[in-house]
Amino acid sequence: MILDGLPSIPRRLDVARAHHERGGLVAAVLPIHYPRALLRAFGILPIEVWGPPNIDATRAASHLQPYVCSIVRNTLAFLESGGLQVADLLIVPHACDSLQGLGSVLLDFVHPRQPVLPLYLPRTQGAEAAVFLAEELRALHRRLVEVARRAPLEADLLQSILDEEAADALLRRLFERRLTLPLTTFDFYRLVRAREFLPLSAFVELAQAMLVLPPAERRPHTPILLSGIVPEPMEILRAVDELGASVVADDLACCGRRLYPEGMSREPFARMAESLLGAPPDPTRGSPIQDRLDHLIGLAQTTGARGVVFHDVKFCEPELFDLPSLRSGLRDAGLPSIAVEVDLNDPPSHQARTRLEAFLEMIA
Amino acid sequence: MTALDVLRVYASSRLIGPAALRVQRWGNEWRARAGSGWASDYLAPPLRVAARGKEMVARHWLEGRYANRNRKVAWVTSGAPVELLHALGFFTVYPENHGAICGAARVAVDLSCEAENAGYSRDLCSYARTDLGSLFSGRTPVGRLPKPDLLFACTNICQTVLFWYRVLAHHLRVPLVLIDTPFIYFETAPEHAVEYVRRQLEASIPSVERVAGRSLDTGRLKETGRLSREASQLWMEIMERNDGRPAPISVVDQFTLMAPVVEMRGEPATVNFYAAMLKEVDGRIAAGVSAVQHEKHRLLWDNLPIWYRLRDVAEMLGAEGAALVASTYTNAWGELADLIDPDQPFESMARTYLYPILNRGAGHKLATMRRMIEQYSIDGVLLHSDRSCKPYSIGQLDQRDRLARESSVPALLLEADHNDSRCYAEGQIANRVAAFIETLER
Repeated sequence: MILDGLPSIPRRLDVARAHHERGGLVAAVLPIHYPRALLRAFGILPIEVWGPPNIDATRAASHLQPYVCSIVRNTLAFLESGGLQVADLLIVPHACDSLQGLGSVLLDFVHPRQPVLPLYLPRTQGAEAAVFLAEELRALHRRLVEVARRAPLEADLLQSILDEEAADALLRRLFERRLTLPLTTFDFYRLVRAREFLPLSAFVELAQAMLVLPPAERRPHTPILLSGIVPEPMEILRAVDELGASVVADDLACCGRRLYPEGMSREPFARMAESLLGAPPDPTRGSPIQDRLDHLIGLAQTTGARGVVFHDVKFCEPELFDLPSLRSGLRDAGLPSIAVEVDLNDPPSHQARTRLEAFLEMIA
Repeated sequence: MTALDVLRVYASSRLIGPAALRVQRWGNEWRARAGSGWASDYLAPPLRVAARGKEMVARHWLEGRYANRNRKVAWVTSGAPVELLHALGFFTVYPENHGAICGAARVAVDLSCEAENAGYSRDLCSYARTDLGSLFSGRTPVGRLPKPDLLFACTNICQTVLFWYRVLAHHLRVPLVLIDTPFIYFETAPEHAVEYVRRQLEASIPSVERVAGRSLDTGRLKETGRLSREASQLWMEIMERNDGRPAPISVVDQFTLMAPVVEMRGEPATVNFYAAMLKEVDGRIAAGVSAVQHEKHRLLWDNLPIWYRLRDVAEMLGAEGAALVASTYTNAWGELADLIDPDQPFESMARTYLYPILNRGAGHKLATMRRMIEQYSIDGVLLHSDRSCKPYSIGQLDQRDRLARESSVPALLLEADHNDSRCYAEGQIANRVAAFIETLER
């Protein structure tokens, strides 16, 4: 068995510093959906901030109540403790009431040294959503011109979009080939999540290097589907490996829900909007629960997943509202599931591991 | 439906039920004349018109019991552009108002447990849990909730309604029309956001007409808009009567008397009701009747009420001579009245429904509170940190600090939940309120 094939991946902070030293701007980007291509066209490196986990979140307590999720609380605590000093701007996409509140508190009260640029993602599914989002992206473009003090040519923007689409296609191939890559589940997610912060060329190089490796021989494993916002703390993935299981598909907001299709239009903003809105079903974009359920069942059928693990962050309304309907629908489709609730700052939970172990034994 | 059924429904919903409610109203009016009805003598009796308001609301729910037999029913979020539905003849049900009724009737926890047993986390909004529990169990204090033919949600109050109504659509298998209102982070909404909302409203018409089984009559839509504006303006006028000392009507009364402007906006009876209320409030001012006797402290309330402790809060404050004279919550149902332009229904609905306080930044809410502090001569602010309402609550910690530091107005944060009494620490809240009132007296 060969499961040690992941090249070294630098830390987010080191990547950001290196980009800075080369004279580029760095954007700290909050979850979930945003136009990477637009930022890159300005020479801005997007570094995504999903928490981060396992930090002292008390710095956020003077602004946010304890019933706000740990992704949002940690982000603010990280910012307040200087963790985002390297960032030249903050992008706050709108995904839920908590992220909305954070954007508002940042703009109105915290006033970080970096400009804060909110972005509203439409919740409707109709044609008017694409028109609105294209306009919203144009508005973001205007703000970026102010921050970067330059504007890319339209041809350069279009090229940036095409380059991102190519990188997204590579990402998709990594997901398709996940079981034949010489990687543990833990390392696979370190690989694909490198898309959250690596410069485009570095990610493409890394992905291509992995995709040319010969298929690895796999040990027997219990195939599962992982759902949730973000697989943090990532100990959950180590536990999956250690318990003889593999994540063969996911519905994670940071991963599988961001496998964007190519846009259709030649007009850059319309194309970016089409791509963002064409992603798999996501409650934060208002996708019907039935669409999400069908998507989960489809993923399980194509990958052979025998069960679904919902790994949800406490207080996360978009996920928690869907959970009973999804579990019920999956049960009707013959797919057992388990729900594990976490706080990003919780130490690894023995109880959660035991429950996961029992679940895996049941479906093995 | 047989002729006998028709007769039975008619008798229940049009004759016996309303007659019983009328008798109940007379009883309430008599009791109001006889005494305050409060445990504390410091509080004024309820407005006489309150009995009529109660009758209106009860009649609405009574009609709701039988609505499925003769009307199309829509379940609607409280901030939705309901004028469109009223113009199409829908009977509208507000699950949030139903949740509040359950909260005030102290059955919300039992119903929430039904939802929690079905897998819904206790961390979700307690209105949603209450209503889902009612749906799953069939239990409700209003007798019977009519099943919806249409779900109509607008994100201008929270994203929670989006997630909640998706659950309803999935569970009930009925169409969901969503009006998505982009959050306004800055001073004004960008034009493309207004255009987006206007387009959604127009695009929703065929779906809504299909369910209604009739075409939208523009004349009726304009008339509904006119009535909506008139009711909201009257409501605003009533609240603004509290800018004089002493305040004639408490916010606790406003919380219960706002039901018609929320759930019966666009109906002539609602306009008549608020016109009568304004007249009575003016009569109180002329007669020198105050909501709290010997009014000493004037307070502003932020966020939703604590439905299951309304009475306790009113009495606790009243005993100390503290009157709740203004609230950002009740204010929200009047402050946008002038934006409604019946002659430009879609354009004006787009703007009106984009600008509720909950669809705007935390800084805007602070500015609103500061304006209200000036207008109503406020001495202190009570901020209900409502575990179930994140969009209203996030930002309150900074708002409290700024009010105290920059406006020199003491402000107290009360941790609770609008419907879930398990989150209410009675003794702790009483102690904190008492200490706060002491601060005001220094």
